[in-house]
Amino acid sequence: MAEKRERYQNRIELLQGTLDLLVLQTLQWGAQHGYGISVAIRNRSGDILQVDTGSLYPALHRLEKQKWIKSEWKISENKQRAKYYRLTATGKKQLTKERSKWAQLSDAIAGVLNPLEDESEP
Amino acid sequence: MRFPWWGRKRQELDEELQSHLQMAARARIERGEDENEAARAARREFGNVGLVNEVTQDQWKQRWLKDFVEDARYGLRRMLKSPGFTAIAVLTLALGIGANTAIFSLVNGILLVSLPYPHPEQLVSVTGAYPKGAFVAMREQIRAMDVGAYAEGHELNLTGFGEPVRLASTSVSAELFSILGARPDLGRTFYPGEDVPGQGNFVILSHALWEQRFGSNVSILGRSIELGGENRQVVGVMPAEFRFPSTKTQVWIPLQNDPRNAVSFWAGDFMPAVGRLRPGSTLGQARTEIRMFQSRVGALFPWPMPASWNAHASVVPLQNGMVADVRARLLILLSAVGLVLLIACSNVANLTLSRAATREKEISIRTALGAARPRITRQLLTESVLQASLGGLLGLGFAREGLVLLKVMLPSDTPRLIETHIDWRVLLFTGALAILTGVVFGLAPALHSSRAALTEALRSGGRGTAVPVSQRLRSCLAIAQVAFAVLLVIAAGLMIRSFWSLSHVNAGFHPEHILTARITPNESFCNDAKRCLTFYRSVLDQVQAFPGNNAALVNTLPLGGRVSKRSLVVEDHDPPPGEDSPLFWLNVVTPGYFRVMGIPLLSGRGFADSDISGAPVTVVTAETARRYWPGQNAVGKHIRLLDDKDWRTVVGVIADVRAYDLHRNAPEWIDGTAYVPYNSAATLEDRRIPAEMTIAIRTASDDSQIATMLRTGVAAINGEVPVSEVKSMGAVVSEAVSTPASTMTLLVVLAALALVLGTIGIYGVLSFLVSNRTREIGIRLALGAQRTDVLRSVLGEGAKLSLTGIALGLAGAFAVMRVLSGELYGVGAADPLTFCSVAVLVAVVALTACYVPARRAMSVDPVVALRYE
Repeated sequence: MAEKRERYQNRIELLQGTLDLLVLQTLQWGAQHGYGISVAIRNRSGDILQVDTGSLYPALHRLEKQKWIKSEWKISENKQRAKYYRLTATGKKQLTKERSKWAQLSDAIAGVLNPLEDESEP
Repeated sequence: MRFPWWGRKRQELDEELQSHLQMAARARIERGEDENEAARAARREFGNVGLVNEVTQDQWKQRWLKDFVEDARYGLRRMLKSPGFTAIAVLTLALGIGANTAIFSLVNGILLVSLPYPHPEQLVSVTGAYPKGAFVAMREQIRAMDVGAYAEGHELNLTGFGEPVRLASTSVSAELFSILGARPDLGRTFYPGEDVPGQGNFVILSHALWEQRFGSNVSILGRSIELGGENRQVVGVMPAEFRFPSTKTQVWIPLQNDPRNAVSFWAGDFMPAVGRLRPGSTLGQARTEIRMFQSRVGALFPWPMPASWNAHASVVPLQNGMVADVRARLLILLSAVGLVLLIACSNVANLTLSRAATREKEISIRTALGAARPRITRQLLTESVLQASLGGLLGLGFAREGLVLLKVMLPSDTPRLIETHIDWRVLLFTGALAILTGVVFGLAPALHSSRAALTEALRSGGRGTAVPVSQRLRSCLAIAQVAFAVLLVIAAGLMIRSFWSLSHVNAGFHPEHILTARITPNESFCNDAKRCLTFYRSVLDQVQAFPGNNAALVNTLPLGGRVSKRSLVVEDHDPPPGEDSPLFWLNVVTPGYFRVMGIPLLSGRGFADSDISGAPVTVVTAETARRYWPGQNAVGKHIRLLDDKDWRTVVGVIADVRAYDLHRNAPEWIDGTAYVPYNSAATLEDRRIPAEMTIAIRTASDDSQIATMLRTGVAAINGEVPVSEVKSMGAVVSEAVSTPASTMTLLVVLAALALVLGTIGIYGVLSFLVSNRTREIGIRLALGAQRTDVLRSVLGEGAKLSLTGIALGLAGAFAVMRVLSGELYGVGAADPLTFCSVAVLVAVVALTACYVPARRAMSVDPVVALRYE
């Protein structure tokens, strides 16, 4: 059990930054529950990103503690009680920040991965 | 770690995860899967529900709490792994914290806890002493507060209830109880207007007296008892917790404010006054009013009052007023005990440092693996706070026992001592002390370890070579310990010296083989002087009939705590116009008193039996003779008691007697001391002869035998006269030094503790040094160094530490010992002898402690030492 638990925790750590960004981004289109978020991410990524529940729920609770999202129990469209999360004002700001950080990161990685442009200069 | 208060949150999380599963299953069913199959697939896809639950819950905990729990668990495991180290550290801390808690309980109970009366913040004490007349004027004129007055220290005989007893009584103004807000257990307190003659034949009993003497019988209320030869109706019984002005009082009676009796009204008891600020009034207003009152009250007296009388009268909170005398002593003790704790802390810090040296590798590896430094510091601190908390818990136990001991040791007249106990404030203090202690002794090692040079520790293969920084820190701690110990030992040394001078002071009499007792007929009994004198004559005859006894009577026994005043005229020393006649301490004695007490006669003669009825005579002390007749023989000069017709001839001069306390013959307001024979002319300030006398019996027999004989003898002569305060003169003297004795004992105990802890500290540092240098010493020896050189080098190291510590300690003592000067007698606060001998003592003890590890270094076997690697 302890060992398994460790593995889960490691995965959280690996995904942490990106998962937060994905969750915040998903919630930008409206309040959503945990299942809805995981489905949305899967669908939007074309089934490439499978969000592990063992990462998703800790992330949701962590984001809530940081007051970036807020939760509320509501009845879903098919008459089921579910916990909905929605973005707060600070969460929106955080999203902008994370997005620009992500943009920088992917630019940087792209720069490293495609060094040809630089070498062709001189 | 689970937290029970998360029950609802946990339930909600379960629900949240369940709803996820249901939604996932429903989505599959909608896609056409079989119902059972869908639920199973959804669960498979979800993963381990329990685990998701658990890792999510982890997010709820505060990061620091999670870390703390982890650190504490780890710390506990480590402590259990080395029980010896833990035991020593915890015990050292428990001693330090326990001693501090015990002394703090005293400080708390005496100085901090509010007085046990409603709205204690309104209660004030007027510093100054007022006769009844002045008090009555004050009561009428002061607007800012209600004032009451009390005269403590009176005694009354209770007769008609079995054996006659002497009771301690306090006369109070009628409003005193209501000013304090004290309610009786039974009956009532005094009503306003009951403190004038003819209105107040009442008495209120203390709870203890009611229990012991009246068997807690409720029917005593309303009955009359005979007190001091007068019938007084019992109107109330106070609760056991009521102890005003002190625990001693057994009965309270109303003052007799009688303006017609000018002597008693204006010159009787000079009483302290207490007040309760009226709503809206401030202490400052009360103070101003009292100062203004002081400027006019002198004019009310039927005679001129010196301007110096109550010149500094002011108003202070009652609590401060009551404990002013003990405050300084308690604060000295608190600082001393604080030093002991500092020493204990540095000792444990040193121990922890030595252990940290062996842990350096572990810590380096953890740092290399990415543990953050603050995190490591925090973990080490958690460990030390844990240790200190254990020490605090154990220390609390020590403190409880210590407090019992302290209460026995301290003089019983220490105000509020009986109310002292361990309360929430003490617990808070101990808790804070434990945490602070943990931080103090843990901080140095923690900061140091977390800074430990990573590569160095790893490279040296974890052998724990002496890292110079660590050694320097340890040396500093050892030096600090020695310095603190020196400070405390000097304080103790000064107290010992002072106590020694006090107990070896030439008191002017020989206390050995003297038994004393108070014989106290009612004052009215001596209205008939002849009856009184005959009674005492028979008592003396009875006692002296016993073989080997030699007895005499005196009204105020030296060091007995009583002063008998008398204004008189000294021949050729008429007071300047507008000033009072000199106020003497008049001792009324029977012939033979000087011989019984062993007071040396310097010139002339003592009293003879013929002086009782012969020409009026007196004997003066050397100091008085010098003051009034310097360079002349006082014998043959004359004095005259004020209002007497006849002059008394000085027939003898005796040596000075330390009658007031062991360093003063008389209080400052006394101008001289004279002795007169006990006869009908021997009147005191109230123009009556003393009724209460103390018998001093020089005897070769057993004290208890004589005491029994005295009691039965007096009872046979007059069954209504109590015999009380039966004690040897030696006991009287030691009571006079009981306060310095207890302060001294406490300081000596603390100093011994400090010295032992400091010695252990030096020993520890050197042992560690030697064990770290074993290899180096081995090499030296192998290369041909002499063993004595090794010994000298280690001893030199120790000497350097000790001497630096001693020097610092001496310098510190020089700077701070002034605070002790109020407690010292016959020795200066910077007494060179004490300073030197303490320096030598500490040096010897410290070097002895160094010798053991030095010997071990000397006996290092080079072969073994080198193979050690």
